[in-house]
Amino acid sequence: MDNQGLVNLGILDLVVAYSLVLVAIGLAKLKRIGQEGQMLWASLRMVFQLLAVGYLLHFIFAVRHPLPVLAILLVMGGFSLQVIGARIKRKMPRFYQVVGTALLIGCGGVTFVFCSLVVHYSPWYDPRYLIPLAGMIIGNSMNAASLAAERLGAEMRERREEIETALCLGASARQAAKPALRNAFRAAIMPTANTMAAMGIVSLPGMMTGQILSGTEPMVAVRYQVAIMCAITGAVAITAYLIVMQGYRSYFTKAQQLERWE
Amino acid sequence: MVTVDDVSFLGRGADGASVTLLDGISFTAKAGEITAIIGPSGGGKSTLIRLINRLTEPSGGRISVGGTDIATMDPLQMRRLVALVPQKPFMFEGTVLDNLQMPFRYRHEVPPAAESAAVAEVLTLARLDRELLQRDARSLSLGQQQRVGVARALITKPQVLLLDEPTSALDRRTSDELAATLREICHGRNLTMIMVTHDLRLTEKVADYCFYLEAGRILEQGRGAELLAHPATTELKMFLSEPSDGEG
Repeated sequence: MDNQGLVNLGILDLVVAYSLVLVAIGLAKLKRIGQEGQMLWASLRMVFQLLAVGYLLHFIFAVRHPLPVLAILLVMGGFSLQVIGARIKRKMPRFYQVVGTALLIGCGGVTFVFCSLVVHYSPWYDPRYLIPLAGMIIGNSMNAASLAAERLGAEMRERREEIETALCLGASARQAAKPALRNAFRAAIMPTANTMAAMGIVSLPGMMTGQILSGTEPMVAVRYQVAIMCAITGAVAITAYLIVMQGYRSYFTKAQQLERWE
Repeated sequence: MVTVDDVSFLGRGADGASVTLLDGISFTAKAGEITAIIGPSGGGKSTLIRLINRLTEPSGGRISVGGTDIATMDPLQMRRLVALVPQKPFMFEGTVLDNLQMPFRYRHEVPPAAESAAVAEVLTLARLDRELLQRDARSLSLGQQQRVGVARALITKPQVLLLDEPTSALDRRTSDELAATLREICHGRNLTMIMVTHDLRLTEKVADYCFYLEAGRILEQGRGAELLAHPATTELKMFLSEPSDGEG
């Protein structure tokens, strides 16, 4: 990476930056808001977690072998699955199988296409590209997967009467569940669509800002940002689609009956 | 004709434990007759009707329609022969006409137009005014919705019609009208009609044959009005002496 023009931050610079958190904590204490302990804990966690990730990435960059890179990606995927599972209280039948497969195909497929056909870097496992790009794709897909799975479950519960009426009238499981699938998919892709629409006007995206700060030409950074947003949208849509299309089946038996899942 | 042969169903109680909801149920419902299944709430009546429409699988036994075991039939094909009108028929978004056309859309068939003979026939059978066709189905009264539910089930000409508490949302006058309608439809179309109900007045008026179901077992059976006039078991006598909470 070209570090020309990059201002390196020293320990003292970080201490000054952290003092802004201390100001926030001080204000919370002064105004007796009562969140100062939580803020201190969260900020310390953030520093230590990022330092740990920094050292880990430093190590992986130095090793230059595909195995640790793939291991990191697996951990990221597994962790995102665990986060989604923890967020959703009333899980669909075969939840981990459905969501895990969707994340694997959605994120894995899009990351592969994006890295090999769009960014064209070499070697294919170069952690400098693969880890941050896959991270952004997984992070956004995780939110979409969570929304899709939660909304699908809620729709299937709320629309039970409607679905059974449709089945009685000769509808297939897919026809009966169609309104639920449509709403769940829409809920999952809405945040990404909104983010795209507001990008550049309401906010400058993090990756682009980071690249510009590290000395990259703004137009190069913009091109990267456009490309990654397209990849994120693709991954989000594929993951959400797979969750609703596989997920609704888990609510039905082979005889087109609604399962008694709770 | 519907034959229910030694059917049982195990459900789950409030504590999650397995509970026998239906036990050794056997009966035959003939074409051109209305078969009523009466009994107290929680006795398994609605479960039985769901089993006949294959919305739920029985734990044991066999149900056949026209001599064919429904477990061997394609469920979608089977539900074309056996229509079910639930206690509170769900109205899909749209007009009454949209609701009547829905079964055809599910089957990828051309839906009948408002002026078609099929629509006119079911409107007459269910005693619905033609002007209701363009009304939002969800804005209708419960009684009208119930009749739209019956019309929607009949429009595809099923061989068996299952009715779950058909008069629960109706006043006495509308209930009497529906009773007359049901008789007309059943005998006119040679339909096999099975209804589960609390409504003893309706049962007396329309049932050709009647079964008394309590705690998952058929305790008594007989010709409709005759069974109600001369109950043999203590359970049925007690049930008949109680005020009928579902009476229209």
